Amino acid sequence: MVLDRFALFDAPRDQLLLVAVGCLALMGLVMVTSASLQIAETRLGSPFYYALRHGFFLGMAVMAGATVYLFVPFSLLEKLRYPALFASLVVLALVLMPGIGREVNGSQRWISLAGFNVQPSELAKLGFIVYLAGYINERQQELREQWQGFLRPLGLLSVLVLLLLMEPDFGAVVVLGVAVMGMLFLGGVPTLRFLLVGLAAVMLAALVAVAQPYRVARLMSFLDPWADQFGGGYQLTQSLIAFGRGHWTGAGLGNSVQKLFYLPEAHTDFVFAVSAEELGLLGSMIMVSLFALVCWRIFRSAIAMLEAGDLFRGQVVLGIGLVLAGQAFINMGVNMGLLPTKGLTLPFVSYGGSSLVVCAVMLGLVLRAQREFEPASPRRRPAGTARRRRP
Amino acid sequence: MKKPVKKKVGNTSLRFRFRFLVGFWLVCACLLVFRAVDLHVMQHDFLARQGDMRNLRIEPLAAHRGVITDRDGRPLAVSTPVTTLWANPREVIENREQWSLLAGNDVLDSAELARRVMPYSEREFIYLVRHLAPEQARKVLDAGVPGIYSLTEYRRYYPAGEVAGHIVGFTNIDDVGQEGIELSMEQTLRAHPGKKKVVRDLLGRVIQDIEILEPAHSGNDVRLSIDLRIQYLAYRELLTAVNRHKARGGSVVILDSRTGEILAMVNQPAYNPNNRAGLAPASLRNRAVTDVFEPGSTVKPLTVAAALEANMVTPRTSVDTRPGSIRVGSKTIRDHRNYGVIDITTVLTKSSNVGTTKLALSMDEHMLPALFEQFGFGHSTGIVFPGESDGMLPLRAQWRDIERAALSYGYGLSVTALQLAQAYQVLANDGVRMPLSMTRVSQPAVGERVLRADTARAIVSMLETVVSTEGTARRARVNGFDVAGKTGTVHKLTENGYADDRYTGLFAGVAPADDPQLVAVVVIDDPRGEAYYGGEVAAPVFSRIVTGALRAMHVQPEKTPGRFAGGDSPGGRT
Repeated sequence: MVLDRFALFDAPRDQLLLVAVGCLALMGLVMVTSASLQIAETRLGSPFYYALRHGFFLGMAVMAGATVYLFVPFSLLEKLRYPALFASLVVLALVLMPGIGREVNGSQRWISLAGFNVQPSELAKLGFIVYLAGYINERQQELREQWQGFLRPLGLLSVLVLLLLMEPDFGAVVVLGVAVMGMLFLGGVPTLRFLLVGLAAVMLAALVAVAQPYRVARLMSFLDPWADQFGGGYQLTQSLIAFGRGHWTGAGLGNSVQKLFYLPEAHTDFVFAVSAEELGLLGSMIMVSLFALVCWRIFRSAIAMLEAGDLFRGQVVLGIGLVLAGQAFINMGVNMGLLPTKGLTLPFVSYGGSSLVVCAVMLGLVLRAQREFEPASPRRRPAGTARRRRP
Repeated sequence: MKKPVKKKVGNTSLRFRFRFLVGFWLVCACLLVFRAVDLHVMQHDFLARQGDMRNLRIEPLAAHRGVITDRDGRPLAVSTPVTTLWANPREVIENREQWSLLAGNDVLDSAELARRVMPYSEREFIYLVRHLAPEQARKVLDAGVPGIYSLTEYRRYYPAGEVAGHIVGFTNIDDVGQEGIELSMEQTLRAHPGKKKVVRDLLGRVIQDIEILEPAHSGNDVRLSIDLRIQYLAYRELLTAVNRHKARGGSVVILDSRTGEILAMVNQPAYNPNNRAGLAPASLRNRAVTDVFEPGSTVKPLTVAAALEANMVTPRTSVDTRPGSIRVGSKTIRDHRNYGVIDITTVLTKSSNVGTTKLALSMDEHMLPALFEQFGFGHSTGIVFPGESDGMLPLRAQWRDIERAALSYGYGLSVTALQLAQAYQVLANDGVRMPLSMTRVSQPAVGERVLRADTARAIVSMLETVVSTEGTARRARVNGFDVAGKTGTVHKLTENGYADDRYTGLFAGVAPADDPQLVAVVVIDDPRGEAYYGGEVAAPVFSRIVTGALRAMHVQPEKTPGRFAGGDSPGGRT
C-alpha cells in the first residue's frame, strides 16, 4: 500500500515555486547562522546552537511538507475543517492558560512541547483558513446573497482575534484578518457589504483611537524612531542603521555589526535587517523578489482553481498565499520602519520551528492542490465541480 | 442551465476582484522596494553615521615607558604590563544581586566592592584595584559581575632596587617620573599612547580596527653611564662603612676620568624604589648631588695646583711650616703637629694647613677662587638631575687673609660629592675638565683645559705619597695598582658654628696613578664610632671599591701584589 502510494509519487507541478521557496530557506539558513553566531556563543556558549536547531527545523519542515504533499488529499482536509477550527480555538485558549503557555517579553505566545516551543497562532492561521475555505465552498449562495453568510465567519474570526489579542499577538491578528478578508472578497461577498464592514472596522478603530490616544501614539511612534532612539525606538533605529550600512552590496556575509547585540531579535524577527546589512540593496531586492515570485505563483494557482470552480482547493491556496504575502510584507515593512513593530517572523527565513513547519505544510498543501487539480491525476479530484481551465 | 450562466458572471467579477487583489500586493511590493532603495541608498550616509556614532569608539593604544639600563644594557627600570580593574558604579549597583559572585574572592571580595562603589553611585568610572598581576585580575573578571572592567597599564620595576634607587628614581602610579632619572629624563622616557578607531559590539568588545588615529610611541630607552657592577660594589662598601662607623649618611661617586661619565653614584641611607611603603623622606635624597659639605683638605691639591700653575713653586720647593701653626689676622691656623721645613709634596702628604696657607697668601688674591671656579665649584655640574645643588664658592672683590687661608684648606666654600669628583677628574685627565654625564658617552665631548698637563700630572704623582705609609691615607692603597688621593676630615657646620666632635670624613682619589682612569670620592657623614678621620673611615671604602672597579674595567695591574709590602711606592716622598 505504501509502495503503491510512492509509485504514484508525482513531482510537484510548480517547480519554480519550489525553487523560489528553496532559495528563501537557504538564504534563511545562512542569515540565521550569521545573525546568531555571536548571540549563541555569548548566551549559550556554543556558536552554532541556533544554526543547528534551525537546520533541524528545516529538516522537520521538509518532512512535514512532504507528508502533507504525499499523504493528505484535499478530500480529507475538507472533512477535517471543523476539527481544524475546533483545534485552532483549543490551542489558542490553551496558550492563555497559566502553566501551559509560556510568556516571553510580555506575550504569552508559546506552548512548550517536548523541548520545543510551539506557537499556536501559526497553527490557528492554517486551521481557520481550512475552515473558511470549506465554508465558502459550501455556502457560496448564502455568502453572495445574505448578510448572515458573510457575518458568520466574521463572528468566528472575532473569537479567534479576541483570543489572539489576549496573548497579545497583533501581528497574527493582522495577518489572519488580511487572509480572511481576501478569501471572502474572492469568495464573492458583494462589494457594498464588504465596504460597510470595512467602514465599521475603520469606525471601531477610530473609536479606540479617540478613547485611548496613547495607544495610537505608541503605535505611530515608528514613524519617527529617532525621537526616542534609546527607548521605544531603539530596535527600529538599529534595524534602519543596518539597512543604511548595507548600501548597495552590503558589508559582506558575516560582517554585520548590528547583529552583535545592537539589534535585538536579529535572528528571528529582524533577520531581514541583518541580511540587508550583509548583502545590501542587492540582497534585499533578491529577498523581496523571491517573496513576490512565491506569492505570485500561489495566487496564480488559486485563481485558476477558483475560475475552474474548484472552490475549496482554490480558497485554501488563496488563503495560504495571503498569509504568506501578508506575513512577508509586514515583517519586511516592520524591519524597514514602514509599519509599527510587531512580532512576526519572515516565512521560510526566520529562526523558529513552528513558523518553518507551518510554512512548509502550507507549501505542501499548495503543491498538493496543484497536483490534484491538474488533469494528470484526474481520479484524485473530487467528482463534479472541478474542471480543467485549459483543454 | 442556470448555474453555468451564473458562474460565468461570477467569473468576470472574480477576475476583476483577483486583479484588484494582485494590484494591492503589487503596491505593497513596490512600497518595500522603494523603501529599500530609500534606506540602502538615499539615507545611507545618515544611517551609516548614526551607526558609527553608536559603535565606533576611540580606544587607547598602549605604549610603555622607555627602559633605563646601565652602560652595558643591564636593566635598571623596566615597564611590565599590569591589569587595572575599574568599575562603572552605576552599572555595578544596578546589578547588586550579582555581587555574591565575588564572595570570598581573595583579590576583591563583595564587601570591599560595596565599600568602593557605594559612595560613587552617580559616577561612571572609578578605579577598583590598580596594577594587579593579570592572573589576579582574571580572578575578579571571571566572576562576571556586570560593571567591572579592566584596562592594561604599565608598572615600573627596578631590578637593581636599592642599589641604583637614587639615580634611577621612580615614577608615580600614573607612570610619571617623580625622582632621579625618571624625573629628569621624563620627556625622553615618557610613553605616548596612541589612539585607534574601532568598532565595538554592545558588550564593549572590539570587533574591528578601523584606523589608527595616533600611533603609539613607546618611550625611548635611556642608557646610563652607570656600570651596575661598580655601582653594586660601591653600594655594598658604602653600606658596610656607614654601618661600621655608625655614620649618619654617606655618598660615593665614581667617574670615568677620561670621558666624564658617572660610573657609580650611591648614597646612604637608601630606599627600595619597588616598595616605597614607610619610606623616610630623608632617604630619598641623592646626597651626592643634593647635599653640600665643606671639602676641607681634599682641596689642598687644587691650592698646590694653583701655585704650580703660576710657576711660583715646584714639587720640591721647600716650605717652612714651623712651629706647626701660623697666625692669620686674629686666628691661628694649626697643623696636626710641627712638620718643620718640608717640600710641597710633603705639604700634601702630611696635609699641612700651614703650608697651604703660606702658598695661598703668596698668591694673587683672586687666583685661587678663579681656579676653584674653573674646577667647577659653585656651579652646576651640567648633569640634569633633580635637586642638584650648585654648592657655594664665595666670589669677593676684596679677600681678607683669613678667608684666603681658609679657602686654601677647604673651608668657607661648600661642594657636593659630585663637584669634588669633577675637580679630581681634572687632575686625573691631565688638566682637562670633561662635562659630566649620567648617560653613556659614545663620542667623548671636547673638554675644557683647566691646568697644564704637567701640573696635573705633578699633582697626581704628589698625591701618590698620601697613600704611602708616610701619608694620611695608607688604607686607600689598592692591591696591584698605584693610586693617588687626598683625605679630608672636616668639622661639621651646625647652627652653633663648627662642632668640635662631629666630622665629615672624606677621601677623593684617582686610579691608577700612572694612567688615571677612575676618580672616586667617598663621603662619610658624621661617623659616630671611634674613627672619624677621612683616612680611617673613607679611604678603606675607596680602596675596596677601586680594587673591584679596576678589575671590572679590565685594567691591567702595573705592580705585582705585595710590592708595596716594604712601604715604598714609585711616587714616594722626597
